[in-house]
Amino acid sequence: MGLKGNAAIVGAAQYRPEKYQTAPRMFHLEQVADLASRALADAGLQADDIDGLVINGPQFHEASVFVPAMAAEYLGLNLNFAEVVDLGGCTSVAMVWRAAMAIEMGLCQAVLCVLPARMAPMGPDEDPAWMARAMRFGGHSTAFGAPEAEFDLPYGHMGQNTGYAMIAQRYAAQYGYDPLAMAKIAVDQRSNALANPEAMFFGKPLSAEEVLASKMVADPLHVLEIVMPVAGGAAVIVASKELAAKARHRGALIKGFGEHLSFKSPTYAADMTRTPIGPAAARAFAMAGIKPADVDAAQIYDCYTITVLLTLEDAGFAPKGEGMRWVREHDLTWRGNFPMNTHGGQLSFGQAGSAGGMSQVIEAFTQISGRAGERQLKGCDTVFVSGTGGVMSEQGALILQGA
Amino acid sequence: MSTNKPMPVPTEISAPFWEGLKAGRVSIPRCNSCGHWIFYPRRHCDKCWSHDVAWHDVSGEGSLYTYTLTRIPTLPDFADEMPQALAVVELDEGVRINTTLIGLAEDEIRVGMRLKPVFERVRDDGTTLLRFTGIDKTIDLSPADEVAAEPAPAAPSVTKVPVSDEAAMRALVSETFTAWSNEVVVDQALIDEFARLSGDDYWIHTDPDKARKMGPFGGTIAHGALVQVLQSRMKIPLGFEVTGFTNMVNYGSDRLRFPSPVPAGARIQARARVKSVEKMKSGTQLILEVHTHVVGAERPSVINDLVILYM
Repeated sequence: MGLKGNAAIVGAAQYRPEKYQTAPRMFHLEQVADLASRALADAGLQADDIDGLVINGPQFHEASVFVPAMAAEYLGLNLNFAEVVDLGGCTSVAMVWRAAMAIEMGLCQAVLCVLPARMAPMGPDEDPAWMARAMRFGGHSTAFGAPEAEFDLPYGHMGQNTGYAMIAQRYAAQYGYDPLAMAKIAVDQRSNALANPEAMFFGKPLSAEEVLASKMVADPLHVLEIVMPVAGGAAVIVASKELAAKARHRGALIKGFGEHLSFKSPTYAADMTRTPIGPAAARAFAMAGIKPADVDAAQIYDCYTITVLLTLEDAGFAPKGEGMRWVREHDLTWRGNFPMNTHGGQLSFGQAGSAGGMSQVIEAFTQISGRAGERQLKGCDTVFVSGTGGVMSEQGALILQGA
Repeated sequence: MSTNKPMPVPTEISAPFWEGLKAGRVSIPRCNSCGHWIFYPRRHCDKCWSHDVAWHDVSGEGSLYTYTLTRIPTLPDFADEMPQALAVVELDEGVRINTTLIGLAEDEIRVGMRLKPVFERVRDDGTTLLRFTGIDKTIDLSPADEVAAEPAPAAPSVTKVPVSDEAAMRALVSETFTAWSNEVVVDQALIDEFARLSGDDYWIHTDPDKARKMGPFGGTIAHGALVQVLQSRMKIPLGFEVTGFTNMVNYGSDRLRFPSPVPAGARIQARARVKSVEKMKSGTQLILEVHTHVVGAERPSVINDLVILYM
């Protein structure tokens, strides 16, 4: 079943996370071209090696339809495979396996996966109110006939924070809750960010006391358990084994993947505390022929601390309902016995929109290719990566292995 | 209540649900083929895909599946509900509903607790939302709640401070704000009246339909200047009264900021602190820092460093 592991991530690039106010404004096409050329240089391949493209459709500034064709034209690419992914924070992981699948099926040999996430310059006729209007309801649709517009928004159910908070409350009622263990997730990741000069919170240590003293946003989530949205953008190049052999760095073979989704609002989940990463990770591990205990590191999508906790449990790293004890008993830093989100995670690296999840993919590649600097793990061959979109709505998993 | 709160727009598919709420009934579809209850309303069964579904009235009773209390409003317009008790309720039929809890103290809320429906009419057109409360609670939703002139808070003990007593005057300076004033409703009629008086009839204040469609706030907002002058309607419990002067002059403002909007229909309240007291050639100058907030909102809507000169 699934992939044979004949495609690898061979190059990557990402903008250093920055505050929106100070980040350069660039057209998304320009960001795509810039990120693509940086990723290509990192891979050491030629532009005409690239014959596949996976790109975001939603939130692409210069077009809402025909995005791949416009980007191909702008880049000067001849494509044998083009794809748009619309899976929120799961997009990055989903892009990588789609690229690998297309390569293994013989459709193409090298795929650019790219997510521009800096803001674009404002046109003379553009209405600044448009942006504010779009932001008002976060990821919630206000379209006539959209169930969430009709059944969520009038009650104040909107955005992500309260959905994740309600999942955490349900978890607390079922299994108990230890705020200190949740704070430890943020603190261990910050410890990792202190070894990553690219991270938003590099040079800013954090204690569990500070997390627990930070403002409560929606019980039981404190503001320091929630990612900070930043400007950024990321690209990776996935290539066939043959091309990967010519690349500059050790590639990260895509050995397994899984994806699962069945709702937008977790209210309609069969069980709110059994998240879609369960079946997604099970498939990924089975495809790769390994067990959770076999990984050298885990890069776990971390929009909230509760996302990490539930992923640790449902992906099979920690027993169900015992995640908090498990977190207390493990050192999640790059020095520790379960290196996780070794770049700081999005909580401490910054979350550049849907490119945020690519930071986890890129960190896995960086560790596998031995270029993680101070935080480099010894003998990092096998890495688990997860992606999460919506409110634990859509989740995906990758197993990456050094070539 | 802010009139900019999002409201449900029933569709042909969902209309029987919303009509039911208006009549005090919870009505939801059920599949005739497999017996599955369906929520939110659809024309098909989301279990077996049969289109043979029919509406049924149910008791509306259920249990609390999960909830959260918000400490920051999910939208500024919900500031009057703080903390919002956002909840997922599982009806006895098994379907789950996104809703809010009312009439329960924070420490009364427990996952698994029994709940019953509350039908709250939120618009003059009869639009009714389905909220929930404890099964043994009695909820009074008579519309007397916010329009009725709220009695001014009991007058706090007031210390008289002679303006000539420089030390006592300086002792008024404080980092701490007073308690809140009475609340004032800023409705569209008031905004329209101010637009007429001031001549500022920009659509973001006066055209609810256009503001809803094109503005960034989901509806109209009050003029900053209106919110500023409404300070006169809010009795701030200062706790002191300066005496012994011949003339008191409102000398203007050292700082006037409008950090966040006041949506039409919102309630506002104010509080203050004495920022500084200074002896001048012409008299004694006191700066009163007044903050006006939408009720429940953390961020002020108006910051006014009011300069008062006692001569």
